[in-house]
Amino acid sequence: MKRIISQCIKELAQFRRDRLTLALAILLPIATLFIYGYAIRLETKDIPIVIQDFSMTPLSRSYVEQLFSTNKFAATPRIGKAEVASAIDRGIAKAAIIIPPDFDREIKNNKTSTIQVLIDGTDANNARVIQNNIKATSQAFLRSSQLQPSNNNVVTRTRLWFNPGRKESLYIVPGVFGVILWIFPSLLAAIAMVREKERGTILQVYASSLTAAELLLGKLLAYFLIGIAQAIFVIILGAILFQISLVAEPSSFIIGTLLFLTNSVMFGLMIGTRANSQNAAVQGVATAGFTTALLLSGFIYPLSNIPFPLSLISNVLPARYYIELSRDAFVRGTGWLGIWYAPIVLFLTFLFLFNVARRNLSRMQLPD
Amino acid sequence: MNFIDRLLETPLIALILKEINQILRNKQLMFLLLFPPTVQLLVFGFSLNPDVQYIKLGIIDYANTYESRELIAAFTENDLFQPKIYTYSQEELGQEVRTGKITAGLVIPPDFNRDLSQNKSAEIQVLIDGVDANTAGIANGYINQIVNQYSRSLNENKSSPLVQVQSVFLYNPGLLSTWFIIPGVIGLVLNLTSTLVSATTVVREKDSGTLEQLLMTPADAWEILLAKIVPLFVLLMGDVLLALSIARFMFKVPLRGNVILFFAFAGLYVLVGIGIGIMLATLARSQQQVILISFFINLPVIQLSGAIAPIESMPTFFQDLSWFNPLRHFVTITRGLLLKGVGIEVLWPNVLMLAIFAVVLLTISINRFRSQLS
Repeated sequence: MKRIISQCIKELAQFRRDRLTLALAILLPIATLFIYGYAIRLETKDIPIVIQDFSMTPLSRSYVEQLFSTNKFAATPRIGKAEVASAIDRGIAKAAIIIPPDFDREIKNNKTSTIQVLIDGTDANNARVIQNNIKATSQAFLRSSQLQPSNNNVVTRTRLWFNPGRKESLYIVPGVFGVILWIFPSLLAAIAMVREKERGTILQVYASSLTAAELLLGKLLAYFLIGIAQAIFVIILGAILFQISLVAEPSSFIIGTLLFLTNSVMFGLMIGTRANSQNAAVQGVATAGFTTALLLSGFIYPLSNIPFPLSLISNVLPARYYIELSRDAFVRGTGWLGIWYAPIVLFLTFLFLFNVARRNLSRMQLPD
Repeated sequence: MNFIDRLLETPLIALILKEINQILRNKQLMFLLLFPPTVQLLVFGFSLNPDVQYIKLGIIDYANTYESRELIAAFTENDLFQPKIYTYSQEELGQEVRTGKITAGLVIPPDFNRDLSQNKSAEIQVLIDGVDANTAGIANGYINQIVNQYSRSLNENKSSPLVQVQSVFLYNPGLLSTWFIIPGVIGLVLNLTSTLVSATTVVREKDSGTLEQLLMTPADAWEILLAKIVPLFVLLMGDVLLALSIARFMFKVPLRGNVILFFAFAGLYVLVGIGIGIMLATLARSQQQVILISFFINLPVIQLSGAIAPIESMPTFFQDLSWFNPLRHFVTITRGLLLKGVGIEVLWPNVLMLAIFAVVLLTISINRFRSQLS
């Protein structure tokens, strides 16, 4: 125990002296929080559309007004008739709506008038949203202009749970906590581990009576403490900036965060024991850690969208469980009841990472 | 023969040959050029899927009649909703939503049928897990459409709606989301590989001190640098070909524009990447620092480029900021050439910005490099 603590103190002293890593330990998480927290938004508003109104009657104009009355669409400046397609080509508009000359006449004669809509399908997801919105607006137009009173006998009462205002920051920011606390503690730990190898000081460790487990636990403790500092800092800053707050009883989140930090540090140490240069270590953490935490953890798009062989990876990914925990703590608020399995999985993945790292290290040592 | 011999003896050619030899022997570099781009393209391509589909639906059907079952069928007979549980307990349904086992719940009241037959409006309840705000919004839109359509089919005197929307999806009629993601990932991969590879090769020479030895040779500083850039450029163009082939053959992304233009603009972007890479190398003292700094640069460059999530949904400030992001322009160019099949007449503002970036970045980084040499 004493040896673990002195190893930890040595590690912290080294960390304090290295200006660059110290700066990175503070600056990189803040930058990540800002960029991901502010810039990742999935819902599009003010989609630029072009309207070509061949009808030019009060009726067609009120239809156009209805389209713009939501904040979904924004008009692009008027352009010539031939340029509708080229506006979409140039990306100035995402959709073009063409109202036929007989729009007014057909509707007054109680016949169906067809509106043509050209949608930029490049971004498939958005294209669907645009189509659905235009359809919904057309129905709302018929109802509100009393042209065709609603004959809908089935009325839907919809309730959005947990996030009735559909604030996207409530979805993104708890996920960002997971991404940040996965990458940066592990990056620092990996560098620390590999530095020992590059400078040759690892040989002194081998020569001493320190066991592989003690070495790992000492380093773990040091970077765990640094990780806790990062976590407190990032979570409080994020909560203030994006105005989110804990809605669950905090014990599950706190325990989960501590377990997750041990995972992330141990992952870094494990990469560090494998890699032979700082260069390779940083790359290992950056590519393996970053891509998995970003792509396979359900951070951006729902987990159920990940196809079969890749979904296996996401099942053993600590970041995935932590993001679930953090979303529960900040949005859902069910506490232990809904999320009891996450801390257990995190504990198991920690044991796994610890064992792999220890085996890597003891393989390098000469047998006793 | 004599001429070729003399050509081979010029410092530039000799240096280029030396660089090529070094690169071919450097296994780590070859690995860096081949492995991460392939893996990134595959993982990003398969896992980044924004489609709203297979929403797990919990159903309580208190009515349990032909009509209510028809409504349930209307929900579940497409890929949008996947019936997960049927129950009669509202409490259980709530619990399942709370624990995230289902994403949406549908409750059909016992008097559903009676209300319908008396021509009153029947109310159904829908609850949606709003944690994922975007998915919830899209799901809500679909639910309304499904219910409207069902409602219309009930009406005997079917009057079709007076306004009908006929929509045509340009460029991507099948609405495959990989077609959107993959061109973005091509940009992302090129950005990461070109900056990292060029930064590490330059820094390694600094690290091992061989740069001073090169300076002793009769070669000029520009020849040393050009000899470094040319083979890197050729190799990175190989990466462009690799990325394009994966896009074409694995993900079946179309190539509607001009191939030569694509390679020309990709070459321009590779130059931008090399410029950033050499710049990083002049800022850093060791390979480790280079990679950490590139982390710092690449994170915002990729995230704010629209490669992964569309630019249009970012806040306006970030949309404006992205004009100063070279990757944003390259991603726009790639999507334009691959999907839209447009040419220079549309893409010229982006190409112009890329060219400016390439010139400015290369000039600054080469000057910094030279001043560090002397």
